[in-house]
Amino acid sequence: MAHTDLDPEVVQLVEMLQSQDLNDRLVAAKSLQHLGDEDTIDALILCLNDESARVQEIAVTALWEMANPVVVPPLLDCLSSAHEPEVREEALSALKELVAPDDLLKLLDVIQVEDVNVQLNVLILLRKIHDAQALPYIMPFFESENPVLREASIVTLRYLNQVVRCEPALALAKDANEEVRRAAILTLGHLSDEAVVPMLCDAIANDPDWQVRRNSAQSLDLHATAEATAALTAAMADDHWQVRKFTARALQKVATDETIPALIKALSDEYSDVRRDSAIALGNLGNPEVLPALQQTLDDPDRDVQIFSQRAIKKIQDKLAETSNA
Amino acid sequence: MALATQRVDVPVIVDESKCLEKCKACIEVCPLDVLVKNPETGKAYMKYDECWFCLPCEKECPTNAITVQIPFLLR
Repeated sequence: MAHTDLDPEVVQLVEMLQSQDLNDRLVAAKSLQHLGDEDTIDALILCLNDESARVQEIAVTALWEMANPVVVPPLLDCLSSAHEPEVREEALSALKELVAPDDLLKLLDVIQVEDVNVQLNVLILLRKIHDAQALPYIMPFFESENPVLREASIVTLRYLNQVVRCEPALALAKDANEEVRRAAILTLGHLSDEAVVPMLCDAIANDPDWQVRRNSAQSLDLHATAEATAALTAAMADDHWQVRKFTARALQKVATDETIPALIKALSDEYSDVRRDSAIALGNLGNPEVLPALQQTLDDPDRDVQIFSQRAIKKIQDKLAETSNA
Repeated sequence: MALATQRVDVPVIVDESKCLEKCKACIEVCPLDVLVKNPETGKAYMKYDECWFCLPCEKECPTNAITVQIPFLLR
């Protein structure tokens, strides 16, 4: 390799990268990283296949810091299982910063490689580009045997802004693996297929994992549909406080008079977050029948609950005044 | 800055068995310039007992030869 245009010091370092001695290669890679000379990109790219994982890792960091788009394809190669986990991790961190929408086709080519680590990392990188063109390449992973890939693909689907319907994704809400279900249920909050809300209502009522039930409440909060009110009302009696808290939040948008008993009961919940969110929901409902119950929470031990109860009472009283003036 | 008289008491500890003679990464990144090479051994050491505990020396060392002992109250 000719390095005629380079500074003699840099030439010496580039030659050291080919040394048989590992220590020399380490010193050279680290020194080139500190110099940050873009003319050394080719030499550093060659280092990505060094026999030492530490040299590879330093080379990845050096290329990352140079932030030149030409390093994206060689860094994508570092995501494969042929590289040590620390090299893959560093390359993924670098690519998270370096990939741009123009790299979409490269990513879609690479995702077809039969290597779990490549596929997983590219699924993560596609979240940064969030282009709906990636959908046909993501969908096969919904049926992958590997739960990690199923989870990564359903999370990536959430980032594809333009996608509002995706029927094959719905099956993952019933996946055997609870981590996949947790991710799938959150993704359903962003989809508008007809089956989504009934599936979320079913999950909030029947899923054995409390995080899935909590995520269902969050997704139903996003949908904010009256169709879910009955399931949300029932979920106010859930065993886990986080499910009750997020259910109360969802009910702030869709509560009806039938929900009042469950919300009033939640005003004396063990957890202050649940009491606060229930008070807000009752305030939004605007029914004067709940005023006595809200007034009892004005001396709640949690200051936050007192403040939001006061606001809820004021909201109901303002509404009453408006109707009596009208 | 006070010279470090006892090399075992300073916050930046260099494992000489790992330190590379040709490498100057830690010396270059130290904002206080308190790390130097021992001309006899070629190994880095902390010459002045002054440290901001900013950690680039530890992070940049290609062989993980450096350990910075952060005082309990700064952790």
